[in-house]
Amino acid sequence: MLRCLALLLALTPAVLALPAAAHGPTRQKVTETVEINAPADKVWAVIGNFQDMSWHPAVTKTEGEGGNAEGAKRTLTLDGGGLIHESLLNYDADKKSLKYQITDVDVKVLPVNNYSSWLSVEEADGGKSVVTWKGAFYRGYMNNDPPPELNDEAAVKAVKGVYRGGLDNLKKLLEAGG
Amino acid sequence: MFERTQHRVCRYATALLRFSVTQRLLCAGLVGTLALGGMLILAQGLLGQAAAADGGTAEASREAFVTAQVADKVAVVDLATFKSVAEIEVSGKPAGIAMSPDGRWVYITTPEAKELVVIDADKRAVTRRVKLGDGPLGIAVHPVDGRIIVADWYDHQLTVVDPATFDVVGTVETGESPSGVAVTPDGGYIVSADRDSDEVSIIDAQTLKRVAAVKVGQRPFGITIDASGERAYTANVKSNDLSVVDLTSRKVIGTVPVGQRPYDVALAKGRAFVTDQYGGTVSVVDLQSFKVIKTIAVGEYPEGIATDRDGRHVYVACWEANTLERIDAVTLEVTKTVEVNDGPRAFGLFLR
Repeated sequence: MLRCLALLLALTPAVLALPAAAHGPTRQKVTETVEINAPADKVWAVIGNFQDMSWHPAVTKTEGEGGNAEGAKRTLTLDGGGLIHESLLNYDADKKSLKYQITDVDVKVLPVNNYSSWLSVEEADGGKSVVTWKGAFYRGYMNNDPPPELNDEAAVKAVKGVYRGGLDNLKKLLEAGG
Repeated sequence: MFERTQHRVCRYATALLRFSVTQRLLCAGLVGTLALGGMLILAQGLLGQAAAADGGTAEASREAFVTAQVADKVAVVDLATFKSVAEIEVSGKPAGIAMSPDGRWVYITTPEAKELVVIDADKRAVTRRVKLGDGPLGIAVHPVDGRIIVADWYDHQLTVVDPATFDVVGTVETGESPSGVAVTPDGGYIVSADRDSDEVSIIDAQTLKRVAAVKVGQRPFGITIDASGERAYTANVKSNDLSVVDLTSRKVIGTVPVGQRPYDVALAKGRAFVTDQYGGTVSVVDLQSFKVIKTIAVGEYPEGIATDRDGRHVYVACWEANTLERIDAVTLEVTKTVEVNDGPRAFGLFLR
């Protein structure tokens, strides 16, 4: 009985020391879409302006330079005061697609590293369109054994939240204005 | 052809070592003859490889093994039909890849499981999983003796594994966070791209001593050595350029600006093909002039890139687009695309 207890005690820390996230970072991928009852041109007129992200409910201010040219910069001020610094990697008006990266963000604002993203809109049947927002990024903590708020799951959850909030609001704005 | 011949010569040598001293003395003449023969075969092999690099006689690679990191799978693509013909389950976020010299075994690193995973290429089956360090990622195989060399991102070292027993037979300290790793075709030197110290380590493959550390661009990641073993090429993720390292003088002899966030390099037809992750492109660099001669649009987030044995095509895995794409090394066009499992990375030499 005593031996059993000793064994149990000996094993417990070993088991506790194996959290699911005890590993190096691997790149995460998130894709979210929304169907909007508005033509792609009309949607692109809103999301295709890199210098205005007011369509996202969490963004209170967009400041930047360089317009929609490759290398253009913007700083987003979020509800609550957090800042995200971004730059435009690629802009394709014909394909209604743009690609950008986060150049600087505090992991307390968004728990990610090496974040890049694609935002595009495609024509769908019946005058509708589908917006796709994709992201590639690492978690907030780049070493082994991250704290829970900076692990892979936290990063994915945060980015999904940003995309969902933005896309759902975009749909609301465009369909209300239609 | 080249590797297979060398393998056979090696087995002969190992068998001869088992003889007694007297027998060995008696055999000395034979050994000498064999060694001479071996050298001739080796020379032929080298000539064959040189010819292959120019699109010569070597037969084309048959298959690509693509690590699909998000899907936890390895996809097998038949290169003749350009179809995905098999999927192998490999948990632990498979990333790095290398092949045994005879193409029979595929070695995969899984950074999340911290393992070296061995796959029987013909049976399409995992045969072994070996725990290895804290951050196994880059991987290469010694072309002559088959030793497996794994770069460890967190332990800042290369770990050398015996391909028969899977015991660790040596380690060598590198710079910080070694990522890509490669071996010269003659098996003399190992090189690693040490990402967080902006260096390329040059390591004696026999003594496992680090003989040089060459400063390159910022955050070097993938690294590839040419067929002659004279130069190493590394893609610098942060400074958006390609560093050319002369392995004899151990100096950088060229720096070529490429696309955004370059990741890995393949060589064919006197050109370097560099994957630009953020650019969604492959930059083609002429190796005489050190200038970009074309930027080829490929699927989003291109990563692993490797050259066919016959030097005619270059294959690239696109992580975001979930594709493997074939680039014609002569016309510099994408000529085929196949969808593969989610998150193809194929970091290493993934063709056989």
